[in-house]
Amino acid sequence: MLKVPYVTGYLSEHFGDDGFGTLSGYEARGGYRGLRQALDTSPEDLIELLKSSGLQGRGGAGFSAGMKWSFMPTDSDRPKYLVCNADESEPGSFKDRILLERAPHQIVEGILIAAWATGAEKTFIYIRGEYAFPADQVDRAVAEARERGYLGAKVMGKDFAHEIVVTRGAGAYICGEETGLLESLEGKKGLPRKKPPFPAQYGAFGMPTTVNNVETFSHVPHIVCKGADWFRGFGTEKSPGTTLFGVSGQVQRPGLFELPLGTPLDEIIFEHAAGLLEDRPVKGVIPGGMSMPILPANQLDVPMANEFLRERKTMLGTGGIMVMDDTTCMVRVACVISYFFRDESCGQCTQCREGTGWMNSIVERIERGAGEQSDLDILLDVAGKMEGQTICAFSDAAAWPIQGLLRHFREDFEAHIRGKKCPFPGSFEL
Amino acid sequence: MPRITVDGEIIEVPDGRTILQALDDVGLLMNGVDIPHYCWHPKLSIDGSCRLCQVEVEGIPKLQIACNTSVQEGMAIRTDTERVRKAREGVMELLLVNHPLDCPICDQAGECKLQDYAYEYGVEASRTREPRRALKKNVDLGSTIKFDQERCILCRRCVRFCSEIPGTGELRVFNRGDASVIDVHPDFPLENDYSMNVADICPVGALTTQDFRFKIRVWFLEDAPGICTGCSNGCNVHIGVANNKVYRYVPRRNDDVNDTWICDSGRMSYKQIGGGARLKEAGVRGEAGRLENTGYEAAVREAAKRLRSMIEEHGADSVVVLASAHATNEDLFTLRRLSDGLGAGADGVAVVQGKSDALLIKADKAANAAGARALGFGPAGPVLDRIRDGRAKAAIVLGHDLLDESHLGGTEALEGLDLLIVLDVQQSALHKVADVVIPVRHAAEKYGTLTNHAGRVQRVEPAVEPAWEAWSDGEVLTLMGQALGLEGFEDGYDPAKISEWMSERVSAFAGVHLRVVGDQGRPLPGERA
Ligand SMILES: Cc1cc2nc3c(=O)[nH]c(=O)nc-3n(C[C@H](O)[C@H](O)[C@H](O)COP(=O)(O)O)c2cc1C
Ligand code: SF4
Ligand code: SF4
Ligand code: SF4
Ligand code: FES
Repeated sequence: MLKVPYVTGYLSEHFGDDGFGTLSGYEARGGYRGLRQALDTSPEDLIELLKSSGLQGRGGAGFSAGMKWSFMPTDSDRPKYLVCNADESEPGSFKDRILLERAPHQIVEGILIAAWATGAEKTFIYIRGEYAFPADQVDRAVAEARERGYLGAKVMGKDFAHEIVVTRGAGAYICGEETGLLESLEGKKGLPRKKPPFPAQYGAFGMPTTVNNVETFSHVPHIVCKGADWFRGFGTEKSPGTTLFGVSGQVQRPGLFELPLGTPLDEIIFEHAAGLLEDRPVKGVIPGGMSMPILPANQLDVPMANEFLRERKTMLGTGGIMVMDDTTCMVRVACVISYFFRDESCGQCTQCREGTGWMNSIVERIERGAGEQSDLDILLDVAGKMEGQTICAFSDAAAWPIQGLLRHFREDFEAHIRGKKCPFPGSFEL
Repeated sequence: MPRITVDGEIIEVPDGRTILQALDDVGLLMNGVDIPHYCWHPKLSIDGSCRLCQVEVEGIPKLQIACNTSVQEGMAIRTDTERVRKAREGVMELLLVNHPLDCPICDQAGECKLQDYAYEYGVEASRTREPRRALKKNVDLGSTIKFDQERCILCRRCVRFCSEIPGTGELRVFNRGDASVIDVHPDFPLENDYSMNVADICPVGALTTQDFRFKIRVWFLEDAPGICTGCSNGCNVHIGVANNKVYRYVPRRNDDVNDTWICDSGRMSYKQIGGGARLKEAGVRGEAGRLENTGYEAAVREAAKRLRSMIEEHGADSVVVLASAHATNEDLFTLRRLSDGLGAGADGVAVVQGKSDALLIKADKAANAAGARALGFGPAGPVLDRIRDGRAKAAIVLGHDLLDESHLGGTEALEGLDLLIVLDVQQSALHKVADVVIPVRHAAEKYGTLTNHAGRVQRVEPAVEPAWEAWSDGEVLTLMGQALGLEGFEDGYDPAKISEWMSERVSAFAGVHLRVVGDQGRPLPGERA
């Protein structure tokens, strides 16, 4: 019996059904109706539908999916491609993995609709290398769809050709950044590309390309079947729809919860995830994967949608919620986070390459008890220098969490510096 | 041509270019408009990684990198605001986090862009208390280049150079993040015909040439403009000189000739200038059969005297003239007039052939083969035939390229001559059989012009003075012309005047002469070079 998300919605309601992952099981539950309907709709109308649904990309940046599709050139006879970003490597995120495992046809259907809308002839699904089981499910689903005539020269018998190529990632966080992904897809080192040119002009193998996240594609068939207004019935005005929140950390019921955007963070933690282990108090919560700034215990009332999270100087990111109780040393958290970014920076941009290393060295020194008061200013200053000035958003993603930790938990850092050691119990391997 | 505004000044720039490219095209980059940059290089692909070149572009909230932002009509750029200054400072500080700052023992000091920019735009030292990265120092990347990994700022110019210019791709970035390092793959050293250019484009002292490192501090060097004489491409070089000694060639940019590159063998050809193989003494073969040093001018006069008696005895027809493709157009125009004035039996030019490629290296291994041909010196064959079959009794030979396998392959055929007059820069086996030898100047020691393979006429001027008596070929030939009583040699040898005269007299050179070619050269009429 498959484990299912504790709370489900349109994306995940059949996750518990054995067979939903197969073509027949998926179709028996209404699957591929959206594609059939889409193929009778003009690409322009589909893009309009997507725009009016307000679907935001679920890969982290929250950009309008309909807008992105509309950037694909319509006057070019070069082949156009889609990329499904299934590299999911943001610590704290595991929603795409479950979508790949349980509902691969939902993704394939979303891809085919997007392909029709954008005129793409091929899609590359780039799956994180460690996701062996999910990749097998996708491989199988693609083979089934091809056999059924949903892929190939005449999709569903229409004058529309599409192919899906499943590729396995080569193991780096940066290969999830869309242009790092494109390089890796082409067989090169995953170094993000400078922009311009943007992928819609020069993407995979130099062709116009749109990159969307696994979850973004998964919403699409539902929007096509049930309409933009239905979709807008979930979530907030600015952030419509549901999303899959992944909750981890010191909670009673860690797992995946499909909830409307805008659900308050404390509801997710205390109702759905059943509160903290041993009923300990919350110290801090990372709301959207490790690159999003932390929130302190007194800000858990925030509705989980970007327009509200931004006011608290953080973002929804991938919806990976990491809950930490009052025994947590925030300097250790900083060590873990900064080490991750130091290790994963691709190293092209000066600020990111040197800044990630420098910040990590400083916080590790503070954890060892050798920090100085001026280190905190340097940390903030370095983080500031890393923001908004690099080839990709990785550098920002590395700077923000450190800024967040210092904004809300400066006292932890100062206690280390004053006491010349870590005041928290237990040992911590640097 | 779009007009852009840079710090309030309106500038007209070429279309379809990025800000740095456009400013470079109009000659303003770092020469009126200062936008510091590390990874961008005018002749390499855009990398956009150092992030130093950020500027404010009106209407765009974030700072933009000038190397990758295309110019547009009406674009307004600011390079002088507080935000730009802070961004530069930030990049500079972060670059210095791991830099060893060993300037006192670094060979790049004085021409280091890290030192320069740190001083101008940045912090003097970083606030870091962390130990700096310990990496490879003083390793050989190949036979020509030494590498100090700690000094590298990862601008990746060298990597792009190897993959984009020679196309050999030896250098790579290994690892990622702050563990990134430049290196070669095991068993694939940096060995290509252009390898040493990486030292020129490395903005810091990470890459240095085996040849030049620690020879002299660069601030003692003066740069004189010159032309490489290694082949007929005529690459433009800066000749690095101190105390009348040449220490190196580095490329001098000429987008019509060599961009910003030179080949390794051309670079090393500076060694010929002061080298031990130079011919330093004039000599006249005396009664005893040995070359005797009779003094420079006396040797020239003796050459003329012996030549006159040969002509009286055997007729002018018995004289042959062989030009050197290493001499200047002015030298060779003088030789042309001498040959014509005498009515020599035949003349021509000996050119040594060697390897060539699609980049710079040309098969003619002399800087002025095209000039010699334009002045009417045909192939050496007819001249050598006359020497071989005994029709020639006397020969005036410039240089020693006729000894090459492809021509005579040795001195044997010359033994039949009654008179062999040799003007040369270097010693050679010719001197064993010559009757008069006269040392002359290298192209780096005289005024004149050279015509490259594509017909571009380029200027040379003295970078150093020979420490022994040596005139240019043209001067020697002029004195001989005078001594022989020929017309047109009365006014002596002034290269600028001769050059102008040549441009009037020789239609191939119409309008092109020493005074007008400038420091980037000028194509011959009818040539597109
Ligand atoms: C460092 C970095 C890592 C990223 N990793 C992922 C990832 O694993 N999966 C993903 O979908 N998007 C990731 N993104 C976002 C992608 O660049 C891109 O915005 C996204 O795939 C677009 O899809 P969406 O518009 O559907 O969200 C990452 C971005 C950055 C800067
Ligand atoms: S910001 Fe960091 S990860 Fe992104 S391209 Fe620059 S160095 Fe690489
Ligand atoms: S060795 Fe020099 S040119 Fe190469 S990346 Fe390093 S600093 Fe740049
Ligand atoms: S290509 Fe020819 S002219 Fe250029 S540097 Fe090499 S030898 Fe000299
Ligand atoms: S010169 Fe523009 S980013 Fe390096």
